Amino acid sequence: MRRIIQLWALAAVTSAFAKVDLAIIPTRDTVQLTIYNSADMTLVREQRALTLRKGMNTLQFSWENTLIDPTSLEMLPKANADQIDVLDLVYPPRVKNLGLWNVNSRISGKSPVEISYLTSGLSWRAFYMGTLSPDETQLQLQGYVRITNNSGEDYENAETRLIVGKVHMIDEIAALARREHPYGSPVPIPRSAGRPKMKAVTLMMRVGEPSYDMELKKMKKQGLSEYFLYTIEGTETIPNGWSKRLPSFDTAEIPVMNLYKFDEERYGKQVRRFLSFDNDKAHKLGDTPIPGGSMRIYQSTGEEAHLSFQGQSSFKYIPVGEKVELDLGRVENVRVEPKRMKYETANHRYHHKGNLSGYDIRQNVTVEVRNTRPVPIKIEIKRTFDSEYWTLEKSGDFGTFEQDDKHTVTFTLELPPASTKTFSYQLTTYHGDNQEGK
Amino acid sequence: MKNSTVRMKHKTAVLVLSAGLIATSSARIKMVALPERGSTDIRLDHPQATLIEEERILTLQQGINQVDFSWKGVNIDSDSIRLMVLGSEHDVTLLNVSYPPNEQALVWEISSPTAKEQNVRISYLLSYIDRLVTYKLVANPSETHVDLNSFLVLRNFSGEDFENARILLDYGEAFERGIQHEETKQMLFLKVGEIPIEKIWTFDAALLPWDPEKENGNVGIPVSYKIANTKANGLGRFALNSGKVRVYQNDGSGGTIVLGEDRIERVPVGEEMEVYIGESRDIVVTQKKMNEKKINLRKNNKGEMVLYDTDELITATLENFKDSPALLTLIQHIEGQWDMAECNMEYELVDASTLKFEIELPANGKKEFKMHYHRRNIHDDRLLSTFHQSRF
Repeated sequence: MRRIIQLWALAAVTSAFAKVDLAIIPTRDTVQLTIYNSADMTLVREQRALTLRKGMNTLQFSWENTLIDPTSLEMLPKANADQIDVLDLVYPPRVKNLGLWNVNSRISGKSPVEISYLTSGLSWRAFYMGTLSPDETQLQLQGYVRITNNSGEDYENAETRLIVGKVHMIDEIAALARREHPYGSPVPIPRSAGRPKMKAVTLMMRVGEPSYDMELKKMKKQGLSEYFLYTIEGTETIPNGWSKRLPSFDTAEIPVMNLYKFDEERYGKQVRRFLSFDNDKAHKLGDTPIPGGSMRIYQSTGEEAHLSFQGQSSFKYIPVGEKVELDLGRVENVRVEPKRMKYETANHRYHHKGNLSGYDIRQNVTVEVRNTRPVPIKIEIKRTFDSEYWTLEKSGDFGTFEQDDKHTVTFTLELPPASTKTFSYQLTTYHGDNQEGK
Repeated sequence: MKNSTVRMKHKTAVLVLSAGLIATSSARIKMVALPERGSTDIRLDHPQATLIEEERILTLQQGINQVDFSWKGVNIDSDSIRLMVLGSEHDVTLLNVSYPPNEQALVWEISSPTAKEQNVRISYLLSYIDRLVTYKLVANPSETHVDLNSFLVLRNFSGEDFENARILLDYGEAFERGIQHEETKQMLFLKVGEIPIEKIWTFDAALLPWDPEKENGNVGIPVSYKIANTKANGLGRFALNSGKVRVYQNDGSGGTIVLGEDRIERVPVGEEMEVYIGESRDIVVTQKKMNEKKINLRKNNKGEMVLYDTDELITATLENFKDSPALLTLIQHIEGQWDMAECNMEYELVDASTLKFEIELPANGKKEFKMHYHRRNIHDDRLLSTFHQSRF
């Protein structure tokens, strides 16, 4: 079945419903798609030249087997706005997928209008490829977007824009599109709502001549409110069922830090590897936020640009100036082994019946950190204690130390290639009455 | 129907009006006139009920007249039906109203001193015809102002076709429109440009995770627009009805993007609406509890603790990664009896346990928030009327 959107002009007649003198509106001049990824929603804007008559004009806009939200339909005159009044938008009874605009015009002749609506069925996502230099100090980061058209319709030569950001929606566009009546019905038990025949947006769009770009397309990025708008250069043709990968950015030689983390509370006993850099100018980035997406990390082996796969990560949306930590997963070539070397209780206190009312627990802990890799590394070791009442005495090469929150501390060490460091601490926790004054 | 009736011209033929001459209720037979429906008002000022007012001309005979009003296929609240005799001469009197058995009908008994044409207005509540109010806001690129369009959406599922009617809301101009059964009409009734807005970001420590880094997805800070319904803003002439708001923004190149949508409650004159548009991921709040220790311990003779304070320290790093300043509303909660030992920012008490901070974050800047307080804890079974259990 052909899925179509049609726009008809009904000439000035006495009744809006007497459909006489139908004339199809010429094809769209331009089509613009603004595709969201936080909601199944695409804003479609199309421009057409209408031939209006002086007086009342009725324009019929109909669609079939699409997921257009009828409540989002809007028509705006793009010229002669003070001469053209859009009086109302009528959804006639017992007709589905049809809207009629009653337009009062004080001019006659061609006039451009913009018709916009929200639809569902198109989506996009960001994904990345990272290539580490052989010495792991630099990363080539390539960003892509992948636009998928499951709308049931071929899109030809549409200006394509993508929105990065989380919009607040109270209704799903697809659900609004499936309603029996555009704005629902006040009748408590509505008539059985028919299911749509297709589950996607369907649009027929033909604009101008197909373009054959020989150059790699650029993506214009622009901040709007809390969102980012990516506008793909030129127009795109994405047939139904197809996806299209488009490059978003390609930045080479980003200085990166090999960061390892050990946090038993969060990750268990194994060390995790992270690649860390900042989304800023010092790292040759920082023009725009980086939308969240999955990432494959490769390493250049140096020989004839062969690659080795290092891991897969995903990252969240990274604002400009924010730190990026790509989690490459658990590793075995860096190890952290905390060992309890001594356990004792001390400073016992008793209350009047002779029961224990307070005591200290002293634990001596030795942490051995081994870097078996041929590159220098930085490692963060987090320790979480059972009590908020504690003191710590550190010894050995513990690097830098800071308190994270009321019962968590972090030791940050840097290790040369193939090296081992050991540090110790005595943890005293206070219990019962011994907590007083600590 | 027992008497002869005249069907109105509506397709769904639901409203039947007839007039009888003979004053016996069992034989309401003789039609004297075809009362044409005159002007009709559809009044939508009440959000839950729709009042129909229609004017008719009755051809009355001298003496007692019976006017029969019946309906079929529509839902009319029969107790709501009123008949008003129009005109300055107060000589036509509605004597009584009776309800025939097993019919959706009523009979008015009207006395007239002379034979005459009489204008009357019939009012009743009709079900399943109602209205929605929707709003479209278009923000300028710098988000300082919005253009507001408000639409009246009339939904007629009443069973009745209205050829032409005056459609009235509690404010604004009336629309002259017809509307058929099962038809929906969207009409623009309010258009105000350049309304100043306030954009706010809100972090509520009770609702959002404290450490966004530990979350799998991004933690978005809710972003809202505040718009005051005041004369200074070009509004303020009437309360704004509850309804769905779709917010767009001018993209600076002739187009728009969708910023988000929300539903607002009724906004009285002088008050503000807050429209939640979306989430910001460029404002990042990382909150930590750095200390929570018992102090000022008080024990009974058995050495059991009966009273103590907790010494608590909350810190938060408030980061703005945007290249424009942002006004962050920070909401903190301290339950029970407490006193603030030290706080590096000013707050307003929303209630006994809710603190509201309005914090200006510079562009690409950050601020450190610190809140050091003591909370009283009572350990006594007889006195265990905790904050949550005690009524007030």
